[in-house]
Amino acid sequence: MSMQQKASLRKAVIDGFWSGILALIIFGPISGLVLKGYTVQNELMRPLLIALVVAVGRFLISYLIQTEKGRYYLGKLIGKRDAGVTVASLTKSKYQYLVIPVLVLAGLSLPLVLGKYWLTVVILALIYVLLGLGLNIVVGLAGMLDLGYVAFYAVGAYTLAMGAQYFDMGFWTMLPVAALGAALFGAMLGFPVLRMHGDYLAIVTLGFGEIIRLVLNNLLEITGGPNGASAPSPTLFGLEFTRRAKQGGIPFHEYFDIAYSPSYKYIFIYLILFAVVCLMILFVTRLKQMPMGRAWEALREDEIACRSLGINHVTVKLSAFMMGAMVGGIAGVFFATYQGFINPSSFTFFESALILAIVVLGGLGSTVGVIVAALVLTILPEVLRDFAEYRVLMFGVAMVLMMVWKPRGLIRIKRKAYDIGEPAS
Amino acid sequence: MLKRSFWKSLLLAVMIGGLAIAGTANAADMIKIGVAGPHTGGYAAFGEQFWRGAEQAAKDINTAGGINGKMIEVVKADDACEPKQAVSVANRLMDVDSVQAVAGHYCSSSTIPASEIYADADVLVMTPGSTNPKITERQMKGVFRMCGRDDQQGAVAANFIINNLKAKRVAVIHDKDSYGQGLADAMIDRMKALGVTEVLYEGLTRGEKDFNSLVTKVKSVKADALFFGGLHTEAGPLVRQLREQGITADFISGDAINSADFVTAAGGPKYVDGVYMTFGQDPLTLKTGRDVIETFRASGYEPEGYTLYAYATIQALTSAMDATNSTNLDKMADWLHGNSVNTVLGEKSWDSKGDLKVSDFVMYQWDAKGKFRQL
Amino acid sequence: MDIYILGQQLLNGLTLGSIYGLIAIGYTMVYGIIGMINFAHGDIYMISAYLTAIILSLIFSLGITSLPVVLLVTLFLAMAITGAYGWAIERVAYRPLRGSTRLAPLISAIGMSLVLQSYVQISQGARNQGVPILIDGVVRLGGEEQFVQITYIQILIVIASFIGMAALTYIILKTSLGRQCRATQQDRKMAAILGINTNRIISTVFVIGSSMAALAGVLVTLNYGSFDFFIGFVIGIKAFTAAVLGGIGSLPGAMLGGIVLGMAEGLFSGFVSSDYKDVFAFALLVLVLIFRPSGLLGKPEIEKV
Repeated sequence: MSMQQKASLRKAVIDGFWSGILALIIFGPISGLVLKGYTVQNELMRPLLIALVVAVGRFLISYLIQTEKGRYYLGKLIGKRDAGVTVASLTKSKYQYLVIPVLVLAGLSLPLVLGKYWLTVVILALIYVLLGLGLNIVVGLAGMLDLGYVAFYAVGAYTLAMGAQYFDMGFWTMLPVAALGAALFGAMLGFPVLRMHGDYLAIVTLGFGEIIRLVLNNLLEITGGPNGASAPSPTLFGLEFTRRAKQGGIPFHEYFDIAYSPSYKYIFIYLILFAVVCLMILFVTRLKQMPMGRAWEALREDEIACRSLGINHVTVKLSAFMMGAMVGGIAGVFFATYQGFINPSSFTFFESALILAIVVLGGLGSTVGVIVAALVLTILPEVLRDFAEYRVLMFGVAMVLMMVWKPRGLIRIKRKAYDIGEPAS
Repeated sequence: MLKRSFWKSLLLAVMIGGLAIAGTANAADMIKIGVAGPHTGGYAAFGEQFWRGAEQAAKDINTAGGINGKMIEVVKADDACEPKQAVSVANRLMDVDSVQAVAGHYCSSSTIPASEIYADADVLVMTPGSTNPKITERQMKGVFRMCGRDDQQGAVAANFIINNLKAKRVAVIHDKDSYGQGLADAMIDRMKALGVTEVLYEGLTRGEKDFNSLVTKVKSVKADALFFGGLHTEAGPLVRQLREQGITADFISGDAINSADFVTAAGGPKYVDGVYMTFGQDPLTLKTGRDVIETFRASGYEPEGYTLYAYATIQALTSAMDATNSTNLDKMADWLHGNSVNTVLGEKSWDSKGDLKVSDFVMYQWDAKGKFRQL
Repeated sequence: MDIYILGQQLLNGLTLGSIYGLIAIGYTMVYGIIGMINFAHGDIYMISAYLTAIILSLIFSLGITSLPVVLLVTLFLAMAITGAYGWAIERVAYRPLRGSTRLAPLISAIGMSLVLQSYVQISQGARNQGVPILIDGVVRLGGEEQFVQITYIQILIVIASFIGMAALTYIILKTSLGRQCRATQQDRKMAAILGINTNRIISTVFVIGSSMAALAGVLVTLNYGSFDFFIGFVIGIKAFTAAVLGGIGSLPGAMLGGIVLGMAEGLFSGFVSSDYKDVFAFALLVLVLIFRPSGLLGKPEIEKV
């Protein structure tokens, strides 16, 4: 069509008007009439203002969408809907081999730059990276929707605390024990649910997650119930990072005769955690290319085809569940040691939802994506602290916007490309 | 792909670093006090009480000339009653905001891990509302509280139930949270010492509203008194459903139902009629606090619940700073152990653990108009 | 065992179950049509509780006291405005994600749930709110000392939930709208080709689901008398569990699942331990799903090659 399409101002105005009216209906009662006992107090300026903003916004979008340029920019904001997998290009960038060493060096030098507060934020972010990597195995690779992942996290954290309390074990002994315990636990929970599909699996895992939390809360005599339990800090060959020794060792600063700083403990935790995360990334990347990882992905894509090709779907699914649980358990140990204290309120359903959000936002199955998303979703609430009570609102809005902007996640999976040589002509 | 994510990470690192540096700027002529509590999430109502009280206290102190010429600034810190966020925000208060003392944390499960961080940074903390005994039982010098302890409160309730109400069959319900269950357990301990064993001990789930099956169970054990350890949000529906099912057993609960919201939660004053509760000497009736209460009411805010506790906490902290002319933990703690402070809640002094020397829990009863009075 | 106590516990379970069922209908309808778990549904229910209190206070300030008028006006307005919420949320947070991965709307819904909660907290404050007693009175069967009782409002809840389920089942099975819904559910592309405005159908389903949440919101608020901005969370998870237990996507299933769950909770907490009632409820769910992987009334998933 050669006819110049003219943007209709009239249509945009009508759109804006009706959106404003709708916004008034929606926001009017809740934000405009504030309950005071059994009466309401008039705050009607607030919904009027909101409605005005909505109307103007809708008008602009409606107008822009009718012009060529506007469509282009709006299209950039809303995610593309092309499906499927892309393949990485064969030609490697010149500096690619530099990227990983630079990142590792940057990670190692981070404690030098950051203050204690931001260091703890980064530690928390790395814990979520671990959780994201673990859940990614279950959800992203094996395609099983798990809404109760927090159960394994809790098992790991409580293994450390209980081990310290009843068997006098330290961080280093309990780390492998917790990993193993969580994996066994994953097998135990995984076995009965493997028959289920999709959302039924989701709700059963959600149920398991809640059961674990409730049991931890109710077993007051063993776990301390809602009063929680304390967890030991890691030691460096018997040297402790507290002001005064608690576990019968020597404080780090006294041994080296330097001034005490509460940061040492966090720097030490950070360094171990950083190493564990690096190892885990390596582990997961390798795993993806091994027969086991390929079986996971194949099973996710088509279970029936896999079974008819002789893949034992029970063992494959179980292995994914256990592997994910193990990583979750390790993350739990770090959480407990970083916090020094745990109670069941840290292991609610919301935590599972947050971890799932990390995996989905990162782009299901993508390791780099999970890392970026974990960093974003844990650092964002801290950055938003300055907004006080608007913090949760903004976090929620950000979650919705990020999904709308990138429905397939921040980083898309790319298949590895293989060079099979020049085809014979 | 890797390359792009590298730039993103770098950007992120720069951003974080920048923020950390920007946060360290600090004015030397101000005294900063952190006010930590749940300002978002399910317990946000208590965070608001903390903040209102602390903000008003700071304002009043500043109007009166500040502390040794320095103005008080209160810093809001939100922990949402999650231990995870409590640790984060405690580190932030120490590291970014560089506060010199902390009034805070509402949930005991937040106060415990956060106080470790304050102790590490040599900062004194006083909680206006965490009543769990464990908080001051950990031999930490810089941890104080402005409120009573669950075991003291539970004992007062038990004495009243056994000696005054002459109850023989006592049912106990708690909300499976550290405050509620701690209080219920403390009550039972004292009751057993008086020779009465409970006939029912059950937990309900916070956030639910339907306790009908539990109420029917109370009916089936033929209890003549029901003690509830928990908050008014659950106590309200519980007492309503109790009365709706025709049970006339006495209802006794702790200080957390001391709020006008209890009446709303119960669905009207007719359901709270006759309910007993333990609470400190009512701050709203104390002579010392009258002016402060009038100031609050003039601004259209009813200073209920922990508002005045937070106010008093700021008073105690600033009195210690004023007297020692420092914000040093040891100096302040020693002063607080040795002296008493005249607060809006009356004269307060602390024992060597950091608990109040005199716990002034007394019994109150609600009437059919939705008001309560001391017995 | 005391027959009155048992009868009372059964009634307690039935009313609680009806509430779960009413909210579960919203979950199940949305799931049925686009296969998405709408985590914001519990918070839509919470919004309707606030609307109830606000509308009631407005009506009382106008001086209207006739009970049926008050009740009907409140129900109508609350359902309409909550329906508008459902429409707007679908339009803003879910429609842009249509046709992308299955999990994207799930995360968007979790974000939306946070938004709704903190929006209400900011505008209405964090304290818990209440409504005055509107319908007072009980039916008691039995003697002076021993009796089984149900309040009028509880009777109303049970009746409303069954009528709601029956009406929606009728709409889905017998009307033109219902046929369009089923067509959209089976094959969205094909339905669109046949001239069904699938976007509008999906929006309608969200509006209906939200209105059902509002129906529950009004009645439940009148029943318990109090609410706060956080109530959507616990009851949302329970209602979702009920929907899955009954077979997600099936309307009678949602109702059945709700009642089974309510009864199980009521009886377990009444006769065993209230500490472990949720553990029991979830364990029951797991057991049911192990033996009937598609829930009580759900159609078994057909695996095609």
